[in-house]
Amino acid sequence: MTHALDIQQVTRSFGRTAAVDNVSFQVPENSIVGLLGRNGAGKTTLMSMLAGQDRPDTGTVTVLGDKVFERANTLSGISYVRDNQRYPDNYMLHHVLRIAPAFKPNWSRELADELVDGFRIPAKTKITKMSRGQLSSVAIVLSLASRAPITLLDEPYLGLDVTGRALFHRVLLDDYQTHPRTIVLSTHLIEESAALLDRVVIMDKGRIVVDDETENARDGAFVASGQTDAVGRLLVNHRILETHTVGALASVTAAGTLDDTLRQSARVAGVQLARASLQELVSAYGVNESTSETKEKVRA
Amino acid sequence: MSTVVSTTKLHLNKREATFAVPLYITAMVAVISVLISLLFLRAGSVPGSAEWIESSRMNPGMIYALSGFLVYLGVQSVATTFPFALTLGSTRRSFAAGTLVWNVIMSAYLAVVFAVMLMLELATNHWFAGFYIFDIIVLGAGDLRLLIPIVFLSTLLLLTVGGVFGASWVRYGANGPVVLGVGIGIVIILALIVLIPQLPSMLASFELWWLAIAAVVAILASSLGTWTLLRSATVR
Repeated sequence: MTHALDIQQVTRSFGRTAAVDNVSFQVPENSIVGLLGRNGAGKTTLMSMLAGQDRPDTGTVTVLGDKVFERANTLSGISYVRDNQRYPDNYMLHHVLRIAPAFKPNWSRELADELVDGFRIPAKTKITKMSRGQLSSVAIVLSLASRAPITLLDEPYLGLDVTGRALFHRVLLDDYQTHPRTIVLSTHLIEESAALLDRVVIMDKGRIVVDDETENARDGAFVASGQTDAVGRLLVNHRILETHTVGALASVTAAGTLDDTLRQSARVAGVQLARASLQELVSAYGVNESTSETKEKVRA
Repeated sequence: MSTVVSTTKLHLNKREATFAVPLYITAMVAVISVLISLLFLRAGSVPGSAEWIESSRMNPGMIYALSGFLVYLGVQSVATTFPFALTLGSTRRSFAAGTLVWNVIMSAYLAVVFAVMLMLELATNHWFAGFYIFDIIVLGAGDLRLLIPIVFLSTLLLLTVGGVFGASWVRYGANGPVVLGVGIGIVIILALIVLIPQLPSMLASFELWWLAIAAVVAILASSLGTWTLLRSATVR
């Protein structure tokens, strides 16, 4: 399998804080990967390094088989619009649409026009005066119409209404079918995006905690619900990721697979088991260590 | 693939700010200069008299008004355009080079505009009414051979100095321009401390081309400074 992105032992620190801490993973060519995790998990820093906007303190970032930092050829094949993208003073939509083809050899004017119409992006409004949703729309136009072999989407949904999000999904999938590319999508609207994702990479505190195909990742955790003491006994040998308790009841996300033995034990104990959703998985891996007391309470 | 040309296009993409706003400012200063001349006329000055010509030619308004805009243009050409250029896929090296090319184009454009306006002013005997807008001391007192290098080098200097301040902001945030400004101030004061005993003799033998050399040195230093600061700058 050819890897479009190859990150090996990458660390990036700001002061004493390691935003990305010894991270390694690969992304297969022409796949859609979800880069998930809490705010501050290191997703944007990682994307910045993939786009050559930043470089690691240690480790290597390889994109399409080449280094990326200050490599014009590689950069022309990457599209990355930040969630807080800055534009030149007094820029309006037409400025963006006019200049993008000068940098992006695969730029599709038809696709850009379709998205501009669909999102109803105002033509006469300065970009600095646009709403959060309109800014996201401009970023999506720039990202998708570039048809770059590597497309990095950083929180593309921010502020978008439901119609806009549906349009984004439809156009992304349609265009991906006809013009396959490698897409890395960072988002907090996990359930809405889950169906798009071939793989997921979940980050927490600068480290990768899950890197797998989406279905496999979901198989790696489950949710047990029932009486707190019964759930605690059932999961005594499992790694507990997240716990919610209401009175005597508990809902616990635990690492591991659902096998027949566990299902049988759960039935006997009156505990309900369910495969974790992607959102539950991301939420569970993002739980602070401070909640371990609650976890211990369940175990006790 | 080099993105130098694309970066230059990126700067030229704001056509109004690049080509029209300097003309608006020039026109505005011209109108104000004419109004001031009319004020002197009403006060009893005689158009065409030696006193009238001397005082009209001392008006530096054209340089002052454009200077502020050109420094702003230089600052924003780096501060807000650099992050977008990286997003589009420019390298830092290409951005610095493309920005310098754009600075040169802007300087040449303004030099041509001012040269044409001076020729018009001289051909119409100062707009048929003795108004001195471009035929002024700071622009070479009606000498095209002086006006063209003065406008070209001044514009290039202001844009590149603005650029290096913008780059210091991109690299170090709000502290960057402050430290850079203070640093430049200290260097100038130290140079004066060293040179002040010789200053009278230097002024006595002063030649205009010294200013051109000083401008070229400052332009090169600013451009090099911009490139150095952007090399390690990251976008956040």
